[in-house]
Amino acid sequence: MGPLAINEIISENTNLFLAFIIGIGFGFVLEQSGFSSSRKLAGVFYGYDTVVLKVFFTAAITAMLGLLFFSLFGWIDLKLVYINPTYLTSAIVGGIIMGAGFIMGGYCPGTSFCGASIGKLDAFVFIGGLFIGVFIFGIGYNLWDGMYLAKFLGSPKISETLGLTDGVFAFLLIIMALAMFWVAEWAEKKFPREEY
Amino acid sequence: MVKSKETKKTKYLNPYLGGVLLGIVLLAANFVAGRGLGASGAIKSTVVTAMTTVAPSSAEKSGFVKEFRESHTGNPMKTWLVFEMLGVIVGGFLSGAFAGRLKFKVEHSPKITSRKRLLLALGGGVLFGFGSQLGRGCTSGSALSGMAVLSLGGFITMMAIFGTAYVLAYFFRKNWI
Amino acid sequence: MKPLRLLALFIIPMGLIIAAVPQNKTKPYKLTAEELLGEVNTRTQYVTPDAVADMIIKKDPSLRLIDVRSQDEFEKFSLPGAINIPATDLLSDQYADILNQDIKMNIFYSNGTLTANEAWMITRQLGFNNNYVLEGGLNYWFDAILNPQKPASTSPDEEFAKYDFRKSAGLALGGGATMQTSQDQSATSSKPVIKPAAKKKKAAGGC
Repeated sequence: MGPLAINEIISENTNLFLAFIIGIGFGFVLEQSGFSSSRKLAGVFYGYDTVVLKVFFTAAITAMLGLLFFSLFGWIDLKLVYINPTYLTSAIVGGIIMGAGFIMGGYCPGTSFCGASIGKLDAFVFIGGLFIGVFIFGIGYNLWDGMYLAKFLGSPKISETLGLTDGVFAFLLIIMALAMFWVAEWAEKKFPREEY
Repeated sequence: MVKSKETKKTKYLNPYLGGVLLGIVLLAANFVAGRGLGASGAIKSTVVTAMTTVAPSSAEKSGFVKEFRESHTGNPMKTWLVFEMLGVIVGGFLSGAFAGRLKFKVEHSPKITSRKRLLLALGGGVLFGFGSQLGRGCTSGSALSGMAVLSLGGFITMMAIFGTAYVLAYFFRKNWI
Repeated sequence: MKPLRLLALFIIPMGLIIAAVPQNKTKPYKLTAEELLGEVNTRTQYVTPDAVADMIIKKDPSLRLIDVRSQDEFEKFSLPGAINIPATDLLSDQYADILNQDIKMNIFYSNGTLTANEAWMITRQLGFNNNYVLEGGLNYWFDAILNPQKPASTSPDEEFAKYDFRKSAGLALGGGATMQTSQDQSATSSKPVIKPAAKKKKAAGGC
């Protein structure tokens, strides 16, 4: 059955319309969870507010379990779902640059749009920066396309790389995430900060 | 004090509930379109459109535009992620309106000025924009969506983003706490 | 109850279940009966013997002939380069990669077209692309390629071109045609254009 758009159960335009609806859900949940506040987001790195960690991992686990159960029931063909390709060098270097941008700017692209939508001026400036950053990447593409394309590994699943089944890996990730949540709640008690 | 604590509790959704809801949105994206959520892809589409509109001849030569064209057909603004991001703006606005959080302001630690906060936000944005292109996706597109489909690259990017941010957190502590 | 406990209460059992069940590897039928009937009616699965002969002679790397008859029959006679997948073993795992792929053009053949058609229909229903059937089967192959009949003198030029091609192809493939050959290139004009089925589009990625 799924994915609907790839199996051509819904038309291209319906797909784009549903993208808009899904986007509304995405923005609504981000804002409701407090992702529109940069100081709340940055809190995860100082231990005073770990909402990012909790929402992020709970969401990843929920979607992962959902996809695995959908596949089990034959509702979705996981072979047709896009799996992000792995380019080892650029994944690491890009991630490091993004991490630096995160701690400096306090937002990530999705949350900055969310913050801007409720009037956070720092989010508007951050979005301006995003455009400049993407533009710089585009202009100087030839300077770093070697790094961009280096160490291509295809689109492996982490479970395959570790030699586990998807289900066993999912279970281990759940246990790991719950342990992290427990530490996070402990940290919030240890580094409390009401005024922000 | 007690009262302020209580109002704060009702202010935002419980993070685990928010996470489950976000996970359901992500699952819906995969079920409908066979792909996860994203944010920086919409910015890329906009930049490609701007480049091809302002300077068509030099843009066509750019490997960046070529690489984009290989994976996308048709109008770069008529892509899934652009529509999804328009929805994010609407959804965020609706949520802020319901919760009474609509307000123009610059959020920053009392230890720094608004000006410094804005400059850092700009710098962070530039870095994040650049990094998201190099890493093929931002926290939502690469890390979150990648993890949901168990992509190896998604986990690596996630660890690089959060690892670096933790390492650098000490140097930027004045901005936040 | 604390939210974290509540979350743990839900996701740990779900994680255990998903870890315990085997991964879903069943292949649901991809085509509805109507879609399949439509394809059968338009005869899209057939490839003419001329096209196949031309591909064999040109050593077309995309061609893969699959003999769906029994192993005995395969050993007695088979087309050049053919591999043997008896129809009874069609769904065996060892052949999955051969039948479900996007690179080669698989052509099933049997004595007539019955068994080959059955094989095509099953693979097609599983959603596999790039599988075809040799039109007329081996019986027609003998008539058309290995012992071509000279067309009547009143026939259009294309018939003669086809005949010349078949005769030379028959010779090249070890048939019984023993008349003089005219190795003209007109053979290509009779070659039907075969387009491998378009690969199913994948979701565009990139954040």
